[in-house]
Amino acid sequence: MKSFVNKKIFIESNEYTYRVEHLTLEGTCSTDHGPRNVKIKNLLVDKYPVTNQQYSFFLIKTGYQPKDSQRFLEHKPNKKISNLPVVFVSQNDAIAYAKWVGGRLPTDEEWQYIAAGPKYLDWPWGNKFNSSLCNHDGNKLESVNAYRKGESWCGCVDMSGNCWEWTAGIHDDGNHQFALLRGGSYFYAHDHWHVGGGARKNNYHWKLQILNEGMNRAATLGFRCVYDAK
Amino acid sequence: MQNKFKDKKKFIDFSLGSLNLSLVVDKNILLKKLNFIKNINNELFSIRVENKLIPRNKYKIEKVFKKTDVNFTVISIDFSQNFGNDFFKGRISFVQKKKNITDFIFQLSARWHKDIPKKVLLKFPFLINMHKNKNFLKPGDIFDGKIRINKGVWNLHEYPPSIISDNLGNQCLGFEFYDQFPWQANYNLGISEAISNENFEKLETEVQLTRELTDIILMKIYTSSQGREKIFSLWKENTRERYDLRKYHDSQNRWIKKNYLQHFMFAYGEEAFDYKKMEFKIIQIIKEGKEFGGYDSILFWHQYPRLGLDESNQWQLYKYLPKNYKTIKKIVDICHSYNIKFFIPFKPWDIRSNESLDSHAKSLEKFIKATSIDGFFLDTMSSLPDSFLKIQKKFPSFEFCSEGTPREQRQIETLTSSWDQIGDIRRNFTVEINSNFFRFLFPEHPLNLVSRWSVGSDKDLLIKRAAFNGMGMVIWQDIFGCWLPFSIEQKKKIKSLKYILKKYHKCFFGNNSIPLIQTLSKKIICNEFSNSFSKQKIYSIYNFGSNKIKGRILKLPSAVKEFKQIYGKDANIKIEKNQNFFYLLANLDIDDVILLNIKFDI
Repeated sequence: MKSFVNKKIFIESNEYTYRVEHLTLEGTCSTDHGPRNVKIKNLLVDKYPVTNQQYSFFLIKTGYQPKDSQRFLEHKPNKKISNLPVVFVSQNDAIAYAKWVGGRLPTDEEWQYIAAGPKYLDWPWGNKFNSSLCNHDGNKLESVNAYRKGESWCGCVDMSGNCWEWTAGIHDDGNHQFALLRGGSYFYAHDHWHVGGGARKNNYHWKLQILNEGMNRAATLGFRCVYDAK
Repeated sequence: MQNKFKDKKKFIDFSLGSLNLSLVVDKNILLKKLNFIKNINNELFSIRVENKLIPRNKYKIEKVFKKTDVNFTVISIDFSQNFGNDFFKGRISFVQKKKNITDFIFQLSARWHKDIPKKVLLKFPFLINMHKNKNFLKPGDIFDGKIRINKGVWNLHEYPPSIISDNLGNQCLGFEFYDQFPWQANYNLGISEAISNENFEKLETEVQLTRELTDIILMKIYTSSQGREKIFSLWKENTRERYDLRKYHDSQNRWIKKNYLQHFMFAYGEEAFDYKKMEFKIIQIIKEGKEFGGYDSILFWHQYPRLGLDESNQWQLYKYLPKNYKTIKKIVDICHSYNIKFFIPFKPWDIRSNESLDSHAKSLEKFIKATSIDGFFLDTMSSLPDSFLKIQKKFPSFEFCSEGTPREQRQIETLTSSWDQIGDIRRNFTVEINSNFFRFLFPEHPLNLVSRWSVGSDKDLLIKRAAFNGMGMVIWQDIFGCWLPFSIEQKKKIKSLKYILKKYHKCFFGNNSIPLIQTLSKKIICNEFSNSFSKQKIYSIYNFGSNKIKGRILKLPSAVKEFKQIYGKDANIKIEKNQNFFYLLANLDIDDVILLNIKFDI
C-alpha cells in the first residue's frame, strides 16, 4: 500500500454556535449540549485520522508502551493495513501520540467545527447523507483517504464513518468518568440496544463510559490530532 | 347439584355449591333467580345477525339433558332457531366437577343459506346486569365508598375472577374466562379483558359459526359463602392445578428463595469502580450494602450500554476487564466469602447471526467453571430457553432470574425467579401501592421489586409497595450512568423490610396468602400472608385515603393469642373483642403501610 502524507490544514479562529445531539440509550450525558457560543482558536488539524503507519512510526521512535497494554493494537498493524486508521488505542494512547507530534486531541467543540464549519453542515460534505462519501455500514475499516470526496469544508477527510474518533478530556460528573466520541464508524450492530453505529452526523457525539484500558480500546475507535496555531 | 325440571313451568333449579340458581327454559333461556341477587331475570344471551336481533322468546328448546354422576353433574339445554333462511343451533351447559366450581359453556352453530356465513354478534345480558350491580367487583377491584377502584395488578396470562357479592360481602360468585391461548382473537380473552372496562355493556362478541357446535364461551363460576377471599382461594387452587410446579418444590431450600436484596452493580461509576486503582470496589459495595440490611446477591453489569461499539460480543467483553475473567473470579470469591451470590447478565438481543442459544449455553457453562458465578440474569426476557435449562442439570444450584415476570405457563414452570419491574421514564409515573396477584398466586416464585427511574417520594412509595406485597427489592442506584441513590432513611426502611422478610419467611411465602382481603374501612387495603401449617398470619395494611384512620380496620377470624407490629410507623395496634368477634384497631396516617404479625388461638 502506498503511503501518503497526513498534511495539516489551517483553521482560522472563529466563533460558532455549538449544539450537539447525543446518542441516547439510557442514562444521561452530563455535558452542556448547547446551543451556546464557542470560540475556536487558530488551529492546524490533521487532514486524516492517524494511520497505522504513523502510529507504528511513533512506537519505533519512542518505544511507547502503555501502562496497561490490554487490547493495545490488537489488530496488529502491518504494511498491508498501513493506511487504515489506527484503532485499538485508548485515549491515553492517542494523547501520547499527539504529544509526540506536538499536537493534542481536538475538543468536542473543535471537532464539530472542523466537520461542520461556519455553515453548520449536517455532514462533512453537505447537508444530505450520501453513503458513497463515507465508509458507512461496511464490513471493515478502509483507508483513511478512500473517501476524499467526502471531505469537510476545510478539507478534512474521513470525519464521518470508518472509525469513531476520540476527543479530548475525561468528563467527570462526580460519579462517572466518560469521554465523547465523534463521527461514527463502519460497524453497525443489529439491535437498537447496541451502540448505534454507521456514519454519524457532524452534530452528534456518543458518551463512552470509561473503565480500564482493555475496555477503553475498540476495533472501531481511532483519533486525529490538532495543533495550536498562532 | 340438585335439580328438577318442571315441564309446565319449565324451571330448572340447581345449586352451585353453596348458592342456588334457577333458569327458566321456555322460548328463551333466562336466569330467573340467584339466591342472593334480587331482580335477576335476564337472558343468558342474545344473538344479532347482520345487525338484526333474533327476537326474544323465539327459541325452540330441543332437549334438556341432566346427568349426575359420582364425578360430575351436567345440565345442558339444546335449542334451535330459524332466522331468515339461516338456521341456528345452540347448547347451554352447566358442568360441575368440584363443589363451588361450575363451568358454564355456551356453544353455537349455524347452517347458512347458500353456505355463505354472516356476521354474528353475541351479547350476554345477565353478565352485563351483574357488571352494573353495586356489589360487582372487576378483577383486582375493591370498594372505595360508592365507587370501585383497582388495587390489584397482574401481568400474566391468568385472569383473576370478577366477583359479585351480597351486601355483607359473604355470599359471592366469581366469574373467570380462562383462555389457554393468550391472543386477543379468542372470545374468552376478549370478555375477560372487556369485563374490566367500564363500557362492558357495549361489548358484542363477534363469532364465526360453522355447521358444528362450537365452544363460544367457557365461563368458570366460583361460589363462596365465606366472602371474596374464598373466591380467590378457589381460583388459585384451580389455576395452580394446571401447573407443574415441581421445579419450585424440588428446590424448596434453594438460595434464590431468600434472594431478598439484589444489588445492581453498574461497572462504570464511582460506586463500583476505583478509577485510580483501576479495580472494582467490591468490598466497599458489600460494606455499603449493610446499610440496606446486606445484599443477598450482586448482579454485575458492564455490557450495556457498551455492546455495539465494535464486533465484540457479550462474552468477549469479560476478557477486556482487568486481568480478564480473573477479575470476575476474584469478585465472586469475595462475594462468596460474605455469603453473597453473584449474577451476570445475558443479552438475548446481542445474539449474532453465527451464534445460537446453544452456543451461549456453552459459553455460560465455561464461564461458570472459570468463575463460580451463581446465576444468570435474563435481560429483557421473561422466559428461560431450554438451552439454559440444561445448565441446571450440570450445576444444580445455578439459578436464573429474568427482567420480566414470566407470563405464560411454561415460563412460570421453568423460570423460578424474576424482577417485578415497574415504571416508565417516558411518562409521569408514580409508584402505586397495590397487590401483585402473581405474588399471591405463585408465592414460591421470588420477585424483586424495582423501579429504576424512581426518585424521592417515589422511592418511598416503592419501599412501601415492596413491604405491602412482602417482596424483596433490587438495589439499583447507578442507572447506566445516572446516579439515583437511596437516602439514609430509605436505606433504614429497606433494612427493616429485609429483616422481617427473613425472620418471617415461612409465613410471607406461605401457600395460603390472599391479596386484598375485606377490611372495615373503604380507604384501607390489606393483604394476608399465611401458610397451611401454622396459626400465624401477617397482615400488610395500607391507608390510601386522604385522612388519618383511627379505629376498627379488620375483623379477625378468631381469638388472638399474641400480636406485634413488625413494620412501619407505630400504629397503636389494639385487639378488641365484641360479643364473639375480634377486631383489629389502629391509628393509620395517610400513606402509611404497616405490617402485623398475629398468632391466633385456633
